[in-house]
Formats: sequence, C-alpha cells, structure tokens
Amino acid sequence: MSDDSSGFRQDPVGALRAWWTDAERADRLVYTAIAAVVVLLTVGVAIGSIGIRYVAGLLVLVAMYSLLTTGLNVQWGYAGLINFSVIAFWGIGAYTAMLVSSANSPLELGWHPAAAIPLAIVAGTVVAVFIGIPTLRLREDYLAIASLGLAEVVRLILLNERQWTAGSQGISGIPVPLSWLPFGTRTAVLLIGAVLLLAVYLFVRRIHRSPWGRVQRTVRADEDLAEALGKDSYRLKMQAFVIGSVVMTLSGVLYVFYAQFLGPADLLPLETFYVWVALILGGTGSDKGALLGGAVIVLIREGTRFLSGTAAFDLLQTGLEVVGILTHINTASLRLFAVGVLIVLVIRYRPEGLLPPREELIWPDAKRRAEVSGDRSAHGDAPGAVAEPVPETGSDDEGEEK
Amino acid sequence: MVAQLIVNGIVYSSIIVLASIGLSLVYSIGNFANFAHGDTMAVGAFVALASAPLVQAIVPGVTIAGFPLWFFGALLVGMAAAAVVAVVTEYVVYRPLDSSAIGLLITSIGVALAYRALLLMQFGPGQQSYPVSRGGRIPWVESALGVSVTARDVVIVFSSIVLVASLHAMLQYTTLGRKMRAMADNAELARVSGIRTGEVIIAMWVIGAALAGAGGVFLGLDTIIRPRMGFELLLLIFAAVILGGIGSVYGAMLGGFAIGMAHELTPAIPFIGTEYNAAVAFLVMIAILLVRPNGILGGDAT
Repeated sequence: MSDDSSGFRQDPVGALRAWWTDAERADRLVYTAIAAVVVLLTVGVAIGSIGIRYVAGLLVLVAMYSLLTTGLNVQWGYAGLINFSVIAFWGIGAYTAMLVSSANSPLELGWHPAAAIPLAIVAGTVVAVFIGIPTLRLREDYLAIASLGLAEVVRLILLNERQWTAGSQGISGIPVPLSWLPFGTRTAVLLIGAVLLLAVYLFVRRIHRSPWGRVQRTVRADEDLAEALGKDSYRLKMQAFVIGSVVMTLSGVLYVFYAQFLGPADLLPLETFYVWVALILGGTGSDKGALLGGAVIVLIREGTRFLSGTAAFDLLQTGLEVVGILTHINTASLRLFAVGVLIVLVIRYRPEGLLPPREELIWPDAKRRAEVSGDRSAHGDAPGAVAEPVPETGSDDEGEEK
Repeated sequence: MVAQLIVNGIVYSSIIVLASIGLSLVYSIGNFANFAHGDTMAVGAFVALASAPLVQAIVPGVTIAGFPLWFFGALLVGMAAAAVVAVVTEYVVYRPLDSSAIGLLITSIGVALAYRALLLMQFGPGQQSYPVSRGGRIPWVESALGVSVTARDVVIVFSSIVLVASLHAMLQYTTLGRKMRAMADNAELARVSGIRTGEVIIAMWVIGAALAGAGGVFLGLDTIIRPRMGFELLLLIFAAVILGGIGSVYGAMLGGFAIGMAHELTPAIPFIGTEYNAAVAFLVMIAILLVRPNGILGGDAT
C-alpha cells in the first residue's frame, strides 16, 4: 500500500523501515495484529489443524465484508450519509445475480453470471436514487430513518413476491465464472473477490484523493460553506450515495458465488450494523480502515462462534442457570450484544477508529515535494504542496454543529 | 368491514401514539434520533410479563368489566422499568459521551442491540403473551355497531387516552412542562435562563420511556410479546414522528394516529396485501419527505 514504489525498488529494506517509522503508533499496532493473524493462519494450515478450504472461505468473506465497509465508507466516511440499509443493497446485488444466472431461478433466464454485474450496478443505482431523492436534501437523520425502512421493504418484497423471487424457500446454485481454472471453485471465487476488491479499492482511493473527494470532505465538515463556495451539495451527496450503494451490490454478487444459496433470511438487519461497527472501528473516512473493518467483522463472527464452543462458555452458561438469569444465552444473542456494546464503546473511546485517515488523503506527489523541501513533519501545511487544506475527517464528529 | 378496520386502527394508533411521544420528546429535547426507542418498548413489555405472577399475588383478583385489575399493576411495573433502564442508559452511555447528534444516533443503535440481546438472553426468542384470558367480543357493541370490540381494545384505548391527557396537562400546566417546552425550543437559552437542563433531560427520559413501556405492554396485549417487537415497530414510530414534524410532541400524536390508521387500513387498499402494511407506512413517509419534509406541525413549538 506504499506509494513510494520507485523508492521501494531502489532500497526495499530502507523504504520499509522508513514506512514503519513513519507509521503512527496505533497503525503499527494494527499492522502487528494483522501480521500475527496471518502467521497464525499460515501455521495452522501448515500443520494441518486448519483446512485450506476454510481459510479460503474466510478470505472470501473478508473480501465481501471489505466491499461493504468500503461502500459504506464512501457514503458515511466521505459524505457523512447515514445508510442503515447496507444489507438491502447487498441483497439487491445478490438477488440480481441469482435471478438472472441460477438454474433454479423462477425467472429461468440462465444468463452468464458475468451479466449479473452490470445488472446489479443498474439495480443498485436505481434504488439508491429512489431513496436519495426524498432524503438527501434534508438533514442526515432523515436518510438514516428512510434507509431503515428501505431495508425492511426490500426484505418484504423478496419474501412475498414468490413468483419472481421464490420467497422464503430461497434460490440455490449459481455457476461460478472462472471455475474451469485448474484450482477449484472456492479458489476461483477467492480470485474474483480479490480482483473485485482491489479494483474497488484503487477506484475509491483515486476518487477520494481527487478534487471530488476533497469537496466531499468539505461538504461533510461544513455544508453551508460548501454551498457558499458554489458546490451543489445535493448532487455530491447523491454521487457518493450511488457509488457506495453500487459497491455494496457488488459485494452481494460475490457472496452468491461463494454461498451458492440465497434467501430473504440472509438479509438480517444485524448485518448492516456489523458493517457499521466494522467501519467505525476500522476508521471512518479511511480506505485502509475500511479494508481492516471487513476483517474485523469476520473476526467477530468467527470469534463468537469459537467462544461459544469453549469450556469457559459452558461454565458461564451453567453459572447463569444456577443464578437463574440470562438462561437463554447463545451465540446469536452474544453476537448481538457484542456488536451493540462495541458500537457504544468505539463511539465513546475511539470515534476516529483504529486506522484514522491521515496521510492517505494527501497526494503522493504533494507528499514527495514536501519531503524534498525538507518539511517532513508538516506534510499538510507545506505551502504550495497541497492546494487545499485537508480537513481531518476523523474528528468531524466533534466538529459538527449540534 | 371498513368499520372494523377503523376500530383496529384506533387500537393500533393508540400504541403508536404512546411510542411516538417518547421518540419525539427525545428528538426535541435530547436532540437526536433515538433508535433504541423501539427496544425500550420491548423492555417494558417483558418486565411487565415477568412481574405478572408477583403482581397477581399482591393485587386482589378483582375484574373490571371482565378485565383483571392486576394487569394495571403489571403495566405500571413495566413503565417504571422502562424509565429506570432509560435513565441508567442516560447516565452510563449518553451523558459521558461528548459527541454530536450523529454520534448519539449511532450510539443509540448500539444501545438498541444491547437491550435486545439482553432480552433474548433472559427470555429467549420465542413468542409469549400475558396471562389474561382472551375474553370475547363485547356483545352489546357488536349488536349495536356491527363491529367486534374486545375488553382488551377498550383497556388499550382508554389507558392511552388517560396517559396522553396527563402528558398534555403536565406539559402545559406544570413548571416541569414549561421547562421541557423551553428546552425543546432552545436549549442554550433555557440553560442561560437558569433551567437545570440536566434535570429536564432526566425527566424527558422518565416520561418518554415510561410511555414507550406502556406502548410496549399494550402492543404485547394486542398481539404477542417477543424481543423483536419494538425494533419492528421502530419504522412506524419514526414515520409517525416525521409525519407530525420532528420535535413537535402534538405533531407526533397526530402522526402516530395517522400512521396507525394507515397501517390497519392497508387491507382496504386494493391490490396490496396485509403483508405490506409496513411498506405502506414507509411509502407514506417517503411521500411526506417529498411534499412537506417539516411534517404537518413542523416548525411549531411543542
């Protein structure tokens, strides 16, 4: 993720060391944790206690959730839009793919799954514009409320329009593109996920650093100011909302290749809040943080599953049964509780997240020029190096007017 | 048939009105959209259920027009519990938080999930109901008007009227009510005028959550009790508050009534099945946002 690729080629060790010393303390902690998880998984696979298929599945889920957090980051992190229907856009993408490509789809189209991607993009755009028109001109909380409703309505339609969506029965089986490659379906899905995520990541990082991204941050920090400068904030919000929603639908397409089954029960509202936790924890407004967030969700899900199989959990259960309270404790309710408490704790103690956006918002060129002029400590303040001041998006929450 | 739907609508509206008032109070005085409001209702409903055996033992087994008196005791316990939970949450979660309205909004989602998780852990995910006999229709109403009204319906509607009337009296004729209205109007000015805003916020939570608790108990009486009940109602309550105009308590009452009616009158609309009554409320909300985003009574003081 380093931008100094030319420097890296000349002196890889030195560049790495510089990157490490440049990184903030919190960043280093996160990188160490990621390295530890990677090492643990590799060792686990090497000694055979973790199946490689399981690891590949986890990685697909990480890619899927990272796409969701990246999409939400474009909406909430860049533009300050509160979208509580993440799972609905994911479902729109997933259902589009299933309906046009699955052999068991009630529509019986049998198209090539690659056709699903442009269709999912169109469907996501239409729904995003539909919900955006009434709400994006108004205060942030209107979108929050309307999107909560949208999620419910999408689920109701998928559940009740049996003749088109197969209803609660769900749809199973979808051909996986690239599955003719010699290394199995799961790996093909992983490949698709990795390519999709990389493409989306490069795209959002590019637009985030562009003038468009800068104006977005200005609108988020002070909408009146942006309007006074002649920026059409409604239009900008709509663009961010549509881009984010489209990324979410792509995540849904990826999911059906992996899961090979889809039903309305997959559209749990809780999934939306997983994505919120992940993004805030990862670092609102940070593209790297959004990627980390995807891994965090998988960690929460697998962690709670692992936890509920341990002896300590059994002991807790027995203890609670003796006392006579919380006797119905299980993985599902524990997850719900963990997500809820995490949201409260992160907003209170670390609202900027684990990897808040700092240097990643500065053009690499500008940074290099600032470094040449010998002013390493104040990248953002070097006159002429950065055309516009970079607002610290991580602390916007405190800066906004009540 | 439409007359019957209107009766159902009045019963359902009573529940939505009680819930909308609390949400609107928090919106205007606490200044944020409280997504934990629905789950506060569920807390009230479940605590009332849990307290039922105890209350039954204390309150004499008297019935009023075929409806047991102890239920009102359980109702009060549920309301008190919801209020206590909300005040504790205010002290533990919201007050130490130095954040904007949006930070509070997102935090309230966390609070909502935590409430629901605890209810699931304590009571399990299944459906339950109050140990009140179903009772039949009231015969003379059925013969006179041709609609079926049960004792439960009467209890829900009349208790709601009593609660809303007391709230109105409190807001208009007591010092606390004046303070609350002042703070809803302009919190800074209220503080400068010497109003202890912290105390008003606690009063807001007590009143709002107690009414939500009552709404939850009535919803449980009207339908069933389960941990998701409040969260599922949240969209309707928000629709009601937006319809009435965010921050206007009287608007919330009006909006609650309209949304409750729309919800129950859905079967009267051709081509739309009852499975879509939540969707109808959603479309009503979208339409209001397009036409009159400030709501019916938006902009007016509470």
